Amino acid sequence: MEAAAIPHDGHGESHGHEEHHGPPEANRSSRIEPQLLGMLLFIISEIMIFGAFFTAYFFIRVVQGDPWPAPGTTIPVGVAAFNTCILLSSSVTLHWAETSIKNNNRAGLKAGILSTLFLGMTFLFVQINEYVHLGFAPKDSAQGTIFYGLTGLHGAHVFVGLTLLTIVTVRSFKGHYSPEQHRGIEVPGIYWHFVDVMWIVVFFAVYVL
Amino acid sequence: MLNPLRSEAEAFRFLVYVAVVFGVLIAIVVVVKAL
Repeated sequence: MEAAAIPHDGHGESHGHEEHHGPPEANRSSRIEPQLLGMLLFIISEIMIFGAFFTAYFFIRVVQGDPWPAPGTTIPVGVAAFNTCILLSSSVTLHWAETSIKNNNRAGLKAGILSTLFLGMTFLFVQINEYVHLGFAPKDSAQGTIFYGLTGLHGAHVFVGLTLLTIVTVRSFKGHYSPEQHRGIEVPGIYWHFVDVMWIVVFFAVYVL
Repeated sequence: MLNPLRSEAEAFRFLVYVAVVFGVLIAIVVVVKAL
């Protein structure tokens, strides 16, 4: 057990390697950093989940040829477009926060991350408000099921993103992160931008097409 | 080559490109629908 070995200073015993405590370091076969690799694999699995929902969406629209939205219902394109702008703005403020900490600008980091959090919360609030006023339920039609399924799946991702952003915000205000060490913002940032990209696809498919 | 999963900065740039492409697509669809 090398980890438990106690060095004998002053006895002239030098084995040429540093003192090491705890379990041996995990083997890393990838050139990508573990944190980024984890997020990469996670996002690939996320794309598959969204892909399943999009398959259902295109099945009823293309294969079945059903009208969209269901007859007698409307979906608020203007509100969704406004919400899209809010979500895109949140990515800009998040990028501002990350650029700020890289330049050792703590005020910029705090302002950027707090703005991102509020913009994300606004997006979710507007979407919940939209659900309340839509006038149809998931059980009413296949279109309704897909609409709530796709937008709800995305909304759940926004909620997860907001949870991550809350952690980043608290840590930012506690003085964490530095120009050298900001992986804790970078990895949730990639996730948040992914959620944004996915919303653009959802918005285009559900509201515009 | 741009890899959005390599860093936050690249993910943001990828988002901007996607937004631009979809913005153009949405504009085309809206114009075609209006015709």
